[in-house]
Formats: sequence, structure tokens, C-alpha cells
Amino acid sequence: MLVYIYDGSFPGLLTAIYESYYRREKPEEILAQDQWQHTLFAQEVVIKTDEKKADKVYQAIKDKISGFAARNAYCVFLAEVPGAEMLIYNYLSRGWKLGAKLDFHLADEAVLQVHTVAKKVRQEAHRMLGLVRFRLLKHELYYAQIEPDHNILQMISPHFARRMADQNWIIHDVKRGLAAVYNQVEWVLTPLERPKTISLDETGLFYESLWQKYFSSIAIKSRKNLRLQRSFLPKRYWKHLVEMDESRSRFAESSVLSPQSPVKTYK
Amino acid sequence: MELLEKLEILANAAKYDVSCSSSGSTRKNKAGGLGNSYASGICHSWSEDGRCISLLKILLTNYCIYNCAYCVNRSSNDIPRAYFTPDEVAKLTVNFYRRNYIEGLFLSSAVITSPNHTMELLTETVRKLRNIHNFNGYIHLKAIPGADLELIKEAGSLVDRMSVNIELPSASGLKLLAPQKKQDLIIRPMDYIKLQIYEHKEERKISRKVSHFVPAGQTTQLIVGATPDTDLNILQLSEKIYKNYELKRVYYSAYVPVSEHPKLPQISQPPLLREHRLYQADWLLRFYGFRAEELLNESQPNFDLELDPKTNWALRNLHLFPVEINRADYETLLRVPGIGVKSAQRIIRARQVRAVTFDNLKKFGVVMKRAQFFITCRGKYGGQISLENKLLRQYLIAKPKPIQHSSPYEQLSLFNESVPSIPSEVMLSNLTGEL
Ligand code: SF4
Repeated sequence: MLVYIYDGSFPGLLTAIYESYYRREKPEEILAQDQWQHTLFAQEVVIKTDEKKADKVYQAIKDKISGFAARNAYCVFLAEVPGAEMLIYNYLSRGWKLGAKLDFHLADEAVLQVHTVAKKVRQEAHRMLGLVRFRLLKHELYYAQIEPDHNILQMISPHFARRMADQNWIIHDVKRGLAAVYNQVEWVLTPLERPKTISLDETGLFYESLWQKYFSSIAIKSRKNLRLQRSFLPKRYWKHLVEMDESRSRFAESSVLSPQSPVKTYK
Repeated sequence: MELLEKLEILANAAKYDVSCSSSGSTRKNKAGGLGNSYASGICHSWSEDGRCISLLKILLTNYCIYNCAYCVNRSSNDIPRAYFTPDEVAKLTVNFYRRNYIEGLFLSSAVITSPNHTMELLTETVRKLRNIHNFNGYIHLKAIPGADLELIKEAGSLVDRMSVNIELPSASGLKLLAPQKKQDLIIRPMDYIKLQIYEHKEERKISRKVSHFVPAGQTTQLIVGATPDTDLNILQLSEKIYKNYELKRVYYSAYVPVSEHPKLPQISQPPLLREHRLYQADWLLRFYGFRAEELLNESQPNFDLELDPKTNWALRNLHLFPVEINRADYETLLRVPGIGVKSAQRIIRARQVRAVTFDNLKKFGVVMKRAQFFITCRGKYGGQISLENKLLRQYLIAKPKPIQHSSPYEQLSLFNESVPSIPSEVMLSNLTGEL
């Protein structure tokens, strides 16, 4: 069994695809380092991430297939579902053959699977545009925690940089220990641990209670339909929504937020 | 009065207006400003009735000089009253917006002192938001019938969407339940807004400096079930409104019994299923090429509560079916029960590269439970029973569902397995995918 091991980054995966093409071999699995356990029978090939090769593959996807296909591949990568790498690999393999019409082949398993996963990721990213809840901390900092199923932080950050352009904010994916930090000029992606406590601004709390009051007032009692509410807003997202009871009394006072050095800067 | 208490009263008073959508505008943020709009709209939460919360929906005041029988805010009703100052509303909006609770503001009002005075206060609020707070998020403002058109014009150049609620679907209903309101008082601002939208668009073609005028268009709301009007009356009215006033949306609101007025029907529950059928039919008008009189007529003036309007139509037009999936044109596919906009588009796309099979259809989101009787795939008929069978109707009637379903946001959960995708309008178009 031929297994490619890569560093877990998107350029790493693209490099793996590049290598496979030039070595004229098809791996049975492509796995991120941290998911790989050595076994006796596998033939391991460790892929060294090479930005140049990755760029070449990315450009080739756009030229030979389509920009849409390139975005689909990236979405599936962010999905962080087991086997995502091979889904992307198989999808692109079909793409080299079928070209620009790849995404018309809706009956093709490889295409359908990628579409299904990419759609889920896009849906969650879109949903999260509405569900991020900033809390006002001391020093005029707006801070939000999220725990999305998929790694969508970088998909949603540009939206908030455009919209909340005149405030300092942090969106913190506490599940992945990753944060987007914005300083009214640019945003950066940086590793960030879950803070033990945070120090809330007091006027901030006032608006939270106003929002809770608004939320409970706006429902029409004779149309109550909790099942419907949950179908739009699954319970797993409630934890970080200030209007839901689940979120109350989660935060205590004072804390330190110390982002480490950013990994990437976006303007 | 405390802000908290005011908010409770004035949110409560606003909640019967069902429109909540924040879509249709592409206003951009300005340098150093706050907010922008997102073309397809964003839902920020869902309240306990399952409706999407996108905008801060409040009344400026619920003090009213009028006494419309169907309305909680009517002057003879003994309820707590309150009013916000324009400053309070502006601050509330900005602070909710900064925390990402909302897409913007939907501000309406009862009529305090006079229509002009009310319109002036509303306009002042949006002026503050745009000019002082540098707020570029979404604003939907109610135009007050009877207010000077100049006031409406100023407001229109500041907001994204405006609406004038027709509320009662016929002149006779208006006379009965809101005798102080005249139909042309409602129609006049609507007509004016339409004209202004048109003029601003034309002028903007010549100079980009001309401001937008309600870029997300205007909408209105009709109350269903407070008057004896039939579904046919209502749907024909909607058709006319879409045509003559180019409205973006007509919203339907099941009458929620809020008073014991002798002229009002005595009902214990709002007619939610009826409202739901009207929304479905409204989609058929706007996106499926149907006309009102195809769906209903004098001998059947109301929708069948057991069947959706499209299936109902198909049953009365069996001679048009079955249609061949691999040949029928787009318009014909759209008329097949169980096939919606999305799935029709997928069929058209997929059959360019290969003939479509029954198996594929399911994956494209076609609701086979309904569609199977009305189609052939490569010449084969796949229905459990034939089109001529008398039991067909029985087969098509879905299991009785809990009647709570209705409102535009809900239909999805009935028909769409991929509920969570969010922007109300976009979701709605998916929904129709399965009508
Ligand atoms: S004018 Fe509007 S707020 Fe006043 S009673 Fe009539 S419907 Fe209600």
C-alpha cells in the first residue's frame, strides 16, 4: 500500500498531487503527519511541501479545469473530514480528463462527493457569518469564540474585516486554537490558546441583556415551534450565543489574551 | 422608563410584521465606517417561533391615533405604551450591530400625532444612523401612509428598503376594519417610491454621483384571515402589485387574534397552513411562470390545504403529463410537482453530458414521492401507479404534518434536506426546489 505523508497544509497536499503526477503513481492514501501511524505493510512516501510546486498545481487546476474546481478543492480541504485528501485527489484526477466540464458531471461519484462536502463547508461558513457573537472586553476589544465543525475561520474573516472595519476584534476558534485578529488595518491568523477567563466591559453587559430581552420578546407565542427553531439553529451552536440560556454564566472576570506571532497577514 | 422596558414593549408591538429579510442590497462600507450589506442576506438567530432574526425589528412608538380593529396598537386597546427617541434607536442599532447580533434595522411605527410627524421622526433616526454614526448596514424603513412625499423621498435616499403595508387585501375589508385608512393613501406612497426608484436608476446611468434610492426595493404585507377575502382575491392582488408597483416581495401574515372585535373572525389559532399555501403560490408566480388564475378560479377560490398549489394544479391538468426528463424544456420541468428551480437547473446541466436516470434525479434533489407520477426517464415511467388511477390524489397527499408550518422561513424544513444554508431568500429559492 502506497501512502503519502504530508505536513497537513494545503500547499503540502498540492505538492503531494504534483509528486504523484510526475512519479506516475497513485497513492492509496494521503495523510497528514499527525494522523499517520506507522504500519509494517505500508510503503510511506514523505512529501516535502514545496510552495512552487503547489502554486503550479493550483494554477493548473484553474487553467485546465476551473476556478470553481479550485475553490471546491480548498473547501473540502477545510472540511477536515477523514479521507478529504483522497476525495480531492480523485476529483482532480477526473478533472484532468474532463476539463472545464468537470462540475457538470453531477452523476459522477468523485464529483458528487466533493460537491456535497464543499457545500457543507460553505453552508457552515455562511451560517457563521450570522452566528459570531462579539463580546466587548476592556480596552474596546470585541472578542468572539466559535467552535465550527469545519475550519472556516479564514473563510469568514474577510467579511468581518470589511464590515467591522472601525473596531478591533478577535474571532477565536477555540476548538482549533486558532484566532483571526483584526486591528482596523489588516487581519492576521494566529495560534491562540483558550483563555481561562476574560475581562468584560461593563457597558457591554448592558447591551447583552438588552439583546436577550429583544430575543425573548420577538417570538410570537401562538406560533411557537421549537423543533423548527432547532432545525435552523442546531443545538451545538447555542453555546456561544448570548441570547441562549446555554451561554449564560460561562464567562468570569479578568484574563490575559496573548496572541503569538502571526502565521499569515491579510490586507 | 428604562430602556429595557421600552425595548420589550416596542419589540412586542413590532413582531407581527413578518418581513425580516436583509437581502437585495449591496451597500458597501465607507472608510472608517461601520457596516455593509450582504446581497443574499444573513440570519443571525432564530426565535422560538422558528423565524429568522436578521434585523432589529422595532416600532419607534406604539402610541397610535388610529383604531384599526385587527391591530394590537389600536388606540382603544389598553396596553402599555412607550416611545424611543431617534437617538436611542440609533445607539441600540449600532451597539447590536457591533456585536454581530443583527444585519441592521427594521424600523416601523404606529402613527403618533400625525403621519407627517411620525415620518419626520423615522427619517431623523435614519439620518442620525447614516450621518452621525457612519452606519452603512441594512435599513428597512416603513413609509407612513398620508405623510408628505418629500419626507418619503428623503428617507428613501438613506435606506435600503421601504415598505408600505397594505394589510387588508380588499377595499371592503379596509372599510370594515380600518375605516380611517383609505386605499389610495396606501397606494400613493407605493406608486411614488416605484417612480423614484426608476428615476434614480435612470439618473445613475448618467452620473454615479446620484444617490441610490431604496436599492433593495419595496415590499408590503397582507394579513390573511382577518377578512372574508378568498385566496384567489389575495393572489390576484399580489399579482397586480408585482406587476404595477414592481415590489420585491409580498409578505403574508396569518392573522393572529389580538382582539375580540365583533367585526373580526373568532379564531383561536392563526391560519398558518393557509399562509403557507399562499407563500408557495407566491413563489409559483414569481419564479415558475404561473399566473394566479391558473392556480385558482371562481369554482375553486381557495387552496387545497392537503396539497401544495403546484401538485394541485398538475392534478387538474393531467393531460400535460407525463413529461420526458431528458427532453422537456426548462419551463416545462419547472411545472412538474417535486421539481424546483435548483433541481431543474441540475437536470438541464447534467443531461448535457449524459442522459439522466431516476437514480440521478434523487441526488439532484427532486422529490420523487411527488415527481414519479408526472415524468418519464428515457421513455420509462416510474410511478407506483398510473396517472389515470383514481388513487393518485391519495398517493400525493403527504402524511399529515403538524400544522405549525408556515411563514417563509419554514417551508424549507418541510421540503429541503439541506435546511441550514441560511440566507432567507436564497433558502427560499432552494425550497421551491422541492415544490
Ligand atoms: S395605524 Fe397602524 S399601528 Fe395604528 S392601529 Fe392602524 S395598523 Fe395599528
